[in-house]
Amino acid sequence: MIEVRNLYKRYHGPFGGDWVLKDVNFTIPDNVSVGILGRNGAGKSTLLRIIGGMDAADKGSVVRNSRVSWPIGLGGGFQGSMTGRQNVKFVARIHGGGDRIPEIIQRVQEFAEIGKAFDQSVKTYSSGMRSRLAFGLSLAFDFDVYLSDEATAVGDVAFKAKATKAFQDQVGKASIIMVSHQVGMLKDLCQAGVWISEGKAIWFDDIHEAIKRYHESIGK
Amino acid sequence: MQAANRTPWQITVGVWQALFLREAVARLSADRVAWIWLIAEPIAHVVILVWFRTLIGRVRLVPGAEYIPWLVIGITTFIMFRNQMNRGMQAISANRGLFAYRQVQPVDTVLARCGLEGMLSTLVFTLIIFLFSLVGYHLMPHHPLHVLHIWASVWVFGMGVALIFSVVVTALPEAAKFISMLMFPVYFLSGVMIPVQYFPHDLQQYLLYNPMLHAIELIRTGFFETYRPVDGVSAMYLHYWVWCALFLGLLFQLRYKQRLLAQ
Repeated sequence: MIEVRNLYKRYHGPFGGDWVLKDVNFTIPDNVSVGILGRNGAGKSTLLRIIGGMDAADKGSVVRNSRVSWPIGLGGGFQGSMTGRQNVKFVARIHGGGDRIPEIIQRVQEFAEIGKAFDQSVKTYSSGMRSRLAFGLSLAFDFDVYLSDEATAVGDVAFKAKATKAFQDQVGKASIIMVSHQVGMLKDLCQAGVWISEGKAIWFDDIHEAIKRYHESIGK
Repeated sequence: MQAANRTPWQITVGVWQALFLREAVARLSADRVAWIWLIAEPIAHVVILVWFRTLIGRVRLVPGAEYIPWLVIGITTFIMFRNQMNRGMQAISANRGLFAYRQVQPVDTVLARCGLEGMLSTLVFTLIIFLFSLVGYHLMPHHPLHVLHIWASVWVFGMGVALIFSVVVTALPEAAKFISMLMFPVYFLSGVMIPVQYFPHDLQQYLLYNPMLHAIELIRTGFFETYRPVDGVSAMYLHYWVWCALFLGLLFQLRYKQRLLAQ
């Protein structure tokens, strides 16, 4: 269960900053996957980062009673100068991999299917290769909740299918909180939805309703 | 893999191990000469300074010690401090990509990097002692424990200063330029190449505010039995700086953690 209570967040620039999230409240029950919707810059990624513990809220709190992954997505998570393998080893170590590191590397390598590039530095990767590696890496750990920030957006069709299947296999064991603009994928994977607009978050028990509401708001 | 329930301490140790190994790979394979430069740099400093002193024809004796071993010790100690500070304060920006994992805190990157830097410097120092002893200089410590004590203090001092400056440099990137420039006069005023005994007494009083002068003079007394440091050098004064820098640095890291993560 993840509980977001009275969450406020603003970015502190040199000349102040506006509120990105204002008084956000919702509770995500166990084993319910949630899609987060909103226009660009609405604060979706910020909310996901706060849920993942990467960033702190200015006010309010997030209660996490389960193992939550880091936000998987385009923005960071890898050190460009290190190879894919070294990055995987690093993440395995900070998650207490211990002697299971070879097994984790094996799993990531099999899922990512990036061939020889696995031993080249991550800065030479294309965005699709990066997302394959990031996705494979997160699946090598058994989290209760996976956070995905457009993790599959730049992948090819085969990878998207593989990623969707990987998450469908997890149903009952783990859930996902995903930020995405791919409506099909949201409908496939999520049950509930959160629509973020003007700093407020509105919870929908049904993802279809959230999508409908979001589309109405952008006049589509 | 089942993510086991670990205590905060276990997580921190895991993060330190991972960061340490990452830093070691990055440091020693940064470019083709990275590993040889570790040893070559202090030796190059010694060669240039000795040549420079011969050129201006003022090779004077240092009371109670041979000139070249005296120089080697000062330079190696100072370079350790400088490397700790310069590399430690860049640790946060160099590892920015890794803050995606909430286990990794900014302070961990600085501590891991300074730990590695100190270990490498210790290795290099030992190697240099053996190398110079092989070619016939007298460079075996007279009081090994005293040397270790001062060496460890400089290590911790470098770590503390790196912790402070890493916050400053991340908040104000321009400050890095001034801090690097500041190191130049400190190098000259720490008695690394010119014995402070030769300065007028009035000036010495001011030079003694510099903790690195104390550290370098003290470590030399551990090497040479007959060496007499400048009057007023005290291990206590060095320790004030060491522990104040360390605790102030940790305090800064705690206070500005969110800002360091958010940049």
